[in-house]
Amino acid sequence: MDMSLGVLLATPFVGGILAYLGGKIHRWVRYTFAILFSLLAFIEIFFFYNTTVGNYVWGRLFGSVLVLQINPISWIFAFIVTGISFLVILFSINDVEGHKGLDFYYLELLFVEGAMLGITLAGDLITFFMFWELMSWTSYFLIIQGGKKSITAGYKYIIMSVIGAYSMFVAIAMVFGRAHSLVFKNVSMLLSQSSPAFVIWFFVLFGIGLFVKAAVMPLHTWLPDAHSEAPSPVSPLLSGVLIKMGAYGLTVLFYGFLSVQLIGKLAPTILPTPLLLYIVEWLAAISIVLATFLAILQEDAKRLLAYSSISQIGYVVLGIAMGSSLGIAGGLFHALNHAIFKSLLFFVIGGVIYRTGTRNMSELGGLIKKMPVSFIGALFGIVALSGVPPLNGFVSKWMIYEALLQKKEVFLLIMAFVGSTGAFLYLYRFIHSVFLGQLPEKYKDVKEVPFLMQLPIWILSALTIVFGIWPGLAMNVIAQGEKFLGITPIKYTLYGFPQGTAMSSLKVINISSVLIIAFIVVLALYLMLPKERFVSQYDTYAAGQVVTPETKYNYSYGFYMFFGRVINPIFKWSADKMYEAWARATKVFGDYMRRVYTGNLETYSSYIVVLITIVAFVLLIGGKLW
Amino acid sequence: MVRTILIAIGIPLLAYGFGVSFMMFKRKIAARIQRRYGPTFIQPLIDTFKLLSKQENISHGIMYDLGPILALAASMTVIFFIPIPGMKLMTGSADLIALLYIMVIGSLVMALGAGESANPNSTIGIARALTLMLGYDLPFVIVVITLVMKYHTTDLYKIMQMQTGGHWAMWLLPLSAIVGFIVTYGALGEHPFDVAVAPHEIATGPMAEYGGKHLGLLMINHAFHIYIELALFVDLFMGGASNLFYFYAKMFVIFVIYVFFDEVLPRFRVDDAVRFYWRWPTILALLGLIIVLVR
Repeated sequence: MDMSLGVLLATPFVGGILAYLGGKIHRWVRYTFAILFSLLAFIEIFFFYNTTVGNYVWGRLFGSVLVLQINPISWIFAFIVTGISFLVILFSINDVEGHKGLDFYYLELLFVEGAMLGITLAGDLITFFMFWELMSWTSYFLIIQGGKKSITAGYKYIIMSVIGAYSMFVAIAMVFGRAHSLVFKNVSMLLSQSSPAFVIWFFVLFGIGLFVKAAVMPLHTWLPDAHSEAPSPVSPLLSGVLIKMGAYGLTVLFYGFLSVQLIGKLAPTILPTPLLLYIVEWLAAISIVLATFLAILQEDAKRLLAYSSISQIGYVVLGIAMGSSLGIAGGLFHALNHAIFKSLLFFVIGGVIYRTGTRNMSELGGLIKKMPVSFIGALFGIVALSGVPPLNGFVSKWMIYEALLQKKEVFLLIMAFVGSTGAFLYLYRFIHSVFLGQLPEKYKDVKEVPFLMQLPIWILSALTIVFGIWPGLAMNVIAQGEKFLGITPIKYTLYGFPQGTAMSSLKVINISSVLIIAFIVVLALYLMLPKERFVSQYDTYAAGQVVTPETKYNYSYGFYMFFGRVINPIFKWSADKMYEAWARATKVFGDYMRRVYTGNLETYSSYIVVLITIVAFVLLIGGKLW
Repeated sequence: MVRTILIAIGIPLLAYGFGVSFMMFKRKIAARIQRRYGPTFIQPLIDTFKLLSKQENISHGIMYDLGPILALAASMTVIFFIPIPGMKLMTGSADLIALLYIMVIGSLVMALGAGESANPNSTIGIARALTLMLGYDLPFVIVVITLVMKYHTTDLYKIMQMQTGGHWAMWLLPLSAIVGFIVTYGALGEHPFDVAVAPHEIATGPMAEYGGKHLGLLMINHAFHIYIELALFVDLFMGGASNLFYFYAKMFVIFVIYVFFDEVLPRFRVDDAVRFYWRWPTILALLGLIIVLVR
């Protein structure tokens, strides 16, 4: 059993190397290895369902043991990682066919998978940090394969990741200085005995590293560029999985290393939640609202989805930071759901880009008749994302709202609600501009995407229904995970939540069955009525004008311009502008510093003389240097 | 079992009856305000049957057909989650928070259907409708939270029961009730909030392409829609009712006030409507919420 964790972790790495080498023989050897090993990792995950393996030692470094572990919480994330990665590889086969450097691409893809798997399986801080860095670098190489613009985007991504990683590294070094074992258990023991100042520093520094990856405002600025410029199959991996690693890290930080009680001791608790968590909640809520408003005003489909990811990960972080059983369960469930529906939407738009070559929404339209499967995928994706029953997004959002109501955090709840209603706006814009409306003449001959690209869409659409109607399936693992973290596990039934878990009970199956019965009744009525006749898209009302392909008119650009007028005052400020101002200030500071470093040997030697004089003077008057 | 089936058939019929009667009254009252005699009382029913029995129907695709069908189905779903006097219906399966989301299913699928009609007027109408929705959702959410904080439950039936005997939320939370009134009014899309339909600008917006049996279904849906909004308002703020007659009477009073406003007010521009909602109703709602929180 112990050995098998190592095998699980090695699977994607071995697969990556074999795919790389196999590609030198024939492309199908490469694909076989890539698919086989990513599928294998996904199957291996199920052997660890609801098990807790504490300590598989796989090495030693700096006198600290390197440990792998798995528990229900990391299982959820490992499930997301392996599942979505497998679908990404399936999708890649047709999508990036014919590009240069494909062997390397699949190597990177499987290495990213392996690195993320490593993060979820890490049992000590060194392993965690090693795989964290590996993930940043390998995903960077994937992002920059998306064309010219992606290089700038990747640059931004890696710089912010490195800043986050350094911050995290300092936090780890702080712990290492005090305890010589970095296994999670020892870390949490050390932190429970340390002074509040030490814990707060650890919390903030480690947290910054995680916030950068989870793209919590104001550390989100890399995400819209990186997610939209990356190659189509990589975007689902980034949006669906990679940012979830931040969420996983936050769960471990809040409840693995620390605990609600411990965080509560750090500052006086006048608020419903300990102060540090309360600040995190507010950051998440601000992310939800602002990212939603930004998504509404986008013209680029992938950028829209990227902003939407920031807003949705806000719900995840909000839930996790809540500290109550229902809130954490809601946050974790939303992480799983978001991985499903956001990957689905990115796969759909990836297919559209594959067939039409553009992701500019005002150039697309009417593709529903040409790409029905993609449309169904988009439909399931947007319904799930908007949090409307009976699909999965509804249940997790409902849990988060109820948890906020239970704790009476009303202002956060208002923000979460507004973000959710705003989601209707940008989601409708997304599906309308791509699939509905008028079909441009140049896309008359567009075909549905090939089977291998349809497969992820079908699978993920089915999953939105499964987790939407049977939330108990996911709650099973989540409740185990909460027990593992030492939190009262959530009460649940297969179809929802009994009385007493939330403010009121929920039974999703009743909602969906009433909906289905009502649909059948209305459909029967509809079918009894006289039949309809199909007309072309040019046969529409245009106040007496005749619409022809040459003079057709469409509403697609500046979709919510009037809404833009309402909210524009907010966007005079932006985090990007703030960072740019910082960069300018740093440059000015650097210019002054350059005057000190003249490059002249005499100047330097005079500096040394001055320094020695000062040191000597301090020592002479009896001072101490350290 | 028999009772369940009777309820399953009876409740939609009841809701439709209530809704369509309001449509009838509306035309009569509007006519009298404009010093006309007005059409026959049952004109909306006649119109619906006429539309449903049209021999000539057009379609722009499957989503176009599914739009009205699913919208009507969703409205019929919603009415089972809004309690009526003496009946809990299915409020145990979905509470107030869930209800807010069940209520939008219909509008969203209708939006998709209108989108496939390939008419820019429809799309503009939908874009406006969604923007307006974001506008009135902010004050409405605050009002809903105020109610939940006041009654410590999200169960609509319990909220309704706690108001029996004249302890209406309308008297206890007057600020929230005023905001609830304005929001419900906007959700019904009457003047000055009829930006989505706006017949003179965008040719009835989402409905621009719909005719024949599709429009017939949409008219039925409209009756349900009126019932849903009014019943929710009565349940939340006027303590429901002890029997169906009082239930109807309360809804009728609210509706008549709506019609009076509707007939005399002009139309907002959509961004002004959003600004309006984010200004006064939001301030009032927040004030109401803070009063409840402090007490």
